[in-house]
Amino acid sequence: MRNLTIFLYEWKHFVGSPFKIVAVLLFIIASIYGLQNGADLYEKQNSEIERINKEAEIQKATTLSYFENNQKGPENRPWIDVTSPFWALWHTPTYHFKKPSPALVYNIGQTEQYGFYKAIRTSSSPYDADMTNEISNPERIQSGTLDFSFVILFLLPLLLLVLLYNIKGQEAEHGFLPLVFVQTGSKNWWLLSRTAFYTVLLLLVLFGVMLYGATLTNVFNSENIFGNIFLWVTLYLFFWVIIYFLILKYGKNTVSNTLQMIGVWLLFAFIIPATVQQWITIEKPTNLMVDLIDVSRDTKSEINVQSIDKIDEQLFQLYPNLKDTKVAQENITVSRLRRLSTSALINVEMKKATKSIEEENKSKNKLISKTYWFNPISYFQNKLNQLSNTHYNDYETYRNNIQESVDKRNELKVFEIWNDIKVDKEKYLEYNATLSNSN
Amino acid sequence: MFQIIKNEWRFLVRSRIFLGISIAFIAILLLSVFLGNYQTQKQEQTHQNATDHVRQQWVSIDEMNPHSAAHYGTFIFKPSNLLSSLDEGVNSVTGNVLRVEGHVQNEITHSEASQMQAVSRFGKLKPALLLQYIVPLLLVFLAFNSVSNEKQSGRLKLLVLQGAKPLQIILAKTFSVWLYGVLLLIFILIVYGILNSQSLTADILARTGLFFLSYGLYYFIISGLTVFFSARWQNATLALTSMLGIWIIWTIFLPNILMSSVEKWHELPSRNEFQTAMKEDRSKGLDGHNPSDKRSLALKEKVLKKYGVDSLSQLPINFDGMRMQADEDYGNSVWDKHFGNNRSVLQKQKQSFQLGGIVNPFISLQNTSMGFMASDNLHHQEFLLQVENYRRDFIKMLNDKQTFGGSKTGDWSWKEDNAFFKSIPDFDYKPTQISAVLSNYILDVALMILWTILVLTMIVFGTKKIKMV
Repeated sequence: MRNLTIFLYEWKHFVGSPFKIVAVLLFIIASIYGLQNGADLYEKQNSEIERINKEAEIQKATTLSYFENNQKGPENRPWIDVTSPFWALWHTPTYHFKKPSPALVYNIGQTEQYGFYKAIRTSSSPYDADMTNEISNPERIQSGTLDFSFVILFLLPLLLLVLLYNIKGQEAEHGFLPLVFVQTGSKNWWLLSRTAFYTVLLLLVLFGVMLYGATLTNVFNSENIFGNIFLWVTLYLFFWVIIYFLILKYGKNTVSNTLQMIGVWLLFAFIIPATVQQWITIEKPTNLMVDLIDVSRDTKSEINVQSIDKIDEQLFQLYPNLKDTKVAQENITVSRLRRLSTSALINVEMKKATKSIEEENKSKNKLISKTYWFNPISYFQNKLNQLSNTHYNDYETYRNNIQESVDKRNELKVFEIWNDIKVDKEKYLEYNATLSNSN
Repeated sequence: MFQIIKNEWRFLVRSRIFLGISIAFIAILLLSVFLGNYQTQKQEQTHQNATDHVRQQWVSIDEMNPHSAAHYGTFIFKPSNLLSSLDEGVNSVTGNVLRVEGHVQNEITHSEASQMQAVSRFGKLKPALLLQYIVPLLLVFLAFNSVSNEKQSGRLKLLVLQGAKPLQIILAKTFSVWLYGVLLLIFILIVYGILNSQSLTADILARTGLFFLSYGLYYFIISGLTVFFSARWQNATLALTSMLGIWIIWTIFLPNILMSSVEKWHELPSRNEFQTAMKEDRSKGLDGHNPSDKRSLALKEKVLKKYGVDSLSQLPINFDGMRMQADEDYGNSVWDKHFGNNRSVLQKQKQSFQLGGIVNPFISLQNTSMGFMASDNLHHQEFLLQVENYRRDFIKMLNDKQTFGGSKTGDWSWKEDNAFFKSIPDFDYKPTQISAVLSNYILDVALMILWTILVLTMIVFGTKKIKMV
């Protein structure tokens, strides 16, 4: 009962402190602004995806009109023949998207480091130039968007500091701390009850702003995003509450408590992550993709100038069923058959090069993960990134899906060419259906 | 006043906490300079190896058709900058590799940030991180009770009775705290200078001097404001919490909000929109690979007339190369238009952000710090422009060889020998001189000077109302 009285009495303290009220209001404003930023990005990405899909539909309709009008292609490009599998597939617009999660409203994560749509061609790679981030101001990317996770990870501990900094210290400075202890019985419970009041207050504020965020991107339509993110936000809040509680418990006065609190915050928010990042880049400098460059130029040229026998041998090894195709069986001649099929062999080499890049990146990530036990903010940041599908791993999965889509396209192209297929409208629609499955 | 400053320092040096914090902080600063330098050197080595590798591939071309060589192209890697070991600016989020080839102006790709999971929201442990975020806090901690303590102990009254003017006391306290920040700054710059003594140039020294000036001004603003609050408020805690509030709003809150907002006020196109618009404009020009294109035919007529012949086979030159170059020239004008638009949007964003310095001097500090250390977006854009200019020269040399090198129109099997490819110069990055870009930072420096004057005015007029006890 006594603890409840202390708890409720803290409300009077709080409403009597304009400084603390302003801090909470600023926090709420920053949260709403952050949520709005996340929702804007979600909307922007969705409308961009919609726009690209519409463009693809127009391209598809144009190609269909060639079939309907018995044309081989655009008039000013006489070399195009959409009745051949090569050109029909060339004119089959396929995009691969990384559709934004509704949880983007809470955490933008690494979204702005990468692209979220990719035009798939047989020569595409997950490391193509169009896989980089959207056109944006690098100074803004560097400073980061003020999203809800930024508010949580960096401003929440500061708000907690503002709410807790003078607990116990103020009473000690005015000389009535012993009186408080006598009246409340246990100094630990007195401190805990007061800290608990602000913890509950912040939990209510966080729940409220997160609820507001949920209305912006239909968060409740997705599998327990709200619950999971709220759980991790709560754990993060408790992490700081415990640290600050211990500082208050063992602290002597307000100034020293404040300095210690801000010191811990600086250590976790700035010094440790910055040192870890510096260390990682020294251990593993930025990959300049020389292996990929070599494949995209030299290996590609080497494959293209190989003898027909060598190309056939490699293609049969890659696709054993190719031996059963019409061209292989009947030994018929298809114009530029091998040259049109080598993209599949180049794709294999590109995959080998990208695999080593991914391995290197993974080893960097492993190093980062090993620092989590003393680098809590990076841990919570990456946890939130995972929950909102904006973690490095989500983009790795996206890249893998792109690669699968490229593989599928290459295989389809090679088999269609080797089967000497004549493409008509139905076949073209079939291509669209087959390849769009990967979207 | 000098005597008061001397006394202040005597007190500070006697404090064990102050000495302990200073030694620990100097150790972190030293670590940041060494690590920053080491990382830059390591990145430079990686960059050099990659550049040499790609160049070696180019000069090893035995024989190749010049236009095929334009498609083969080359790669340019963004060089690391010696100054970026002090402030890395945008370098970790911009790409590092740019493909240079015919027909296409590629974007820079493969940023450091995209190659790993998230670590630090505020960048690496570079001196700028400590100088921008931590040193001002240290100054706040040193100054928040500098006057209130004197009031509580009665020393302030004593000093006034001894003949010191309140204004002198406040200014002396401000200067003594400011001096601490300036000494840390000088220390960093000296260590940096020693580590890089071999590579120091007049431009680097000028940039470092301006870097020092902007931090010096900002530290004065912070020190002056904190001492002012310490003098005006009745208790030290209020002065400390006020300054912490200002620090949070200035360094964490406002820069982020403002930067996000300016990108909304002056919007850049999405990549797809941008590429579609470029493609559309490009389609209105000449198609270098399509001889039956209307504009190609018009060019053909013009060239035939010029040479006074009836057919391409009679031409003493290779018309294919000429058509390719006409295609390039048109493509270049499209690039100038669209990338020019983007550059102007980015410039508007920057100008709007710079105006944020009116309410927040930290924004001005960030701008000047990155700018003077040649690692802001402006310097990045300058690099991209140099690459594009190189690309144009590079492709023109190849197209001119195709045109005037002795081959005939339609002879795509004609090849140039190794000597020609060796004769094509490699990209030579010319670091942007500070004199060429200084005008971009005058607003930031001017705003910091205005803030300094404002703080001085507050001290001068505010001290008249100070209660001595």
